Amino acid sequence: MTTAALTAGLERIPDQLGYLVISEDGVLASAGELENDEQTAAVMMQMVRTASRFKLPGSAEPPFKRMSVTLEDFVYMVTVSGQKVFVVKRQNNQQEPIST
Amino acid sequence: MRLSFGRGLERVLSLMRSRISVSLSASPLMLNLKLQVLLFKDPDERKPLIPHPNPVSKPPNGTDWITTSVPSARTDEQALLTSILTKTAQNIIDVSAADSVMMEQHEYMDKARQYSTKLAVLSNTLPQKKSLALPSLTSQPHQVLASDQVPYSDVQQVAKIAAYAHSAISQIKVDAKEELVVQFAIP
Repeated sequence: MTTAALTAGLERIPDQLGYLVISEDGVLASAGELENDEQTAAVMMQMVRTASRFKLPGSAEPPFKRMSVTLEDFVYMVTVSGQKVFVVKRQNNQQEPIST
Repeated sequence: MRLSFGRGLERVLSLMRSRISVSLSASPLMLNLKLQVLLFKDPDERKPLIPHPNPVSKPPNGTDWITTSVPSARTDEQALLTSILTKTAQNIIDVSAADSVMMEQHEYMDKARQYSTKLAVLSNTLPQKKSLALPSLTSQPHQVLASDQVPYSDVQQVAKIAAYAHSAISQIKVDAKEELVVQFAIP
């Protein structure tokens, strides 16, 4: 998959604020608020590596498809596919329900 | 170094105690001591003290010969000393194994070669560590990342559970019931 093919899909994600594509060697692509953000890339790599080691008893695969780091205004979503880590920063559209 | 002793058998024995081995060859008039300062090499290596008439003799590995030799020997004194030396040599345990390592060097190299070839064979069959490090979570990364975000209620629930867990762990403490150290009263 070319870098353009990798990033085209990420560009189209609704309410995305930026994205990163990371491999074992380093950042392959970055854009938006995550452009050149090596620090966030490093943190996300470490987090997803740690999370991938959690296994449910009786299963060899990690029990999750996507990792979300939810902060107040935005959320980082991370997944792994084909030896590459995809990170997208999206607007947090989950609000506390307003009771009327 | 030439040491002359009068009748100094007691002196010789005290030198023995301070771990210098001594060979005694005596002339009728004086006793000359041939001093070997032994550095606790392998007892098998150490040849206790056959008086060598040839002063140019090559010392065994690690020993220092400070020697003057006298051709004639008082055999009875010498035999006594030799027996004392043998007993001491048997009682001293030598921990420096320098010689034995050297002797087996070719075996050591052989073993090293053996192990490295075994490792080479095994490393080809072992799975690569890198591929296990990051397992693939999905084949559709764009779809997964574009999906709906985690519902607020789920996030709240997880936060609440984490808070409970944190509170519970922070309340773990040691409940000291008895003294750990007690004195036994010995009447």
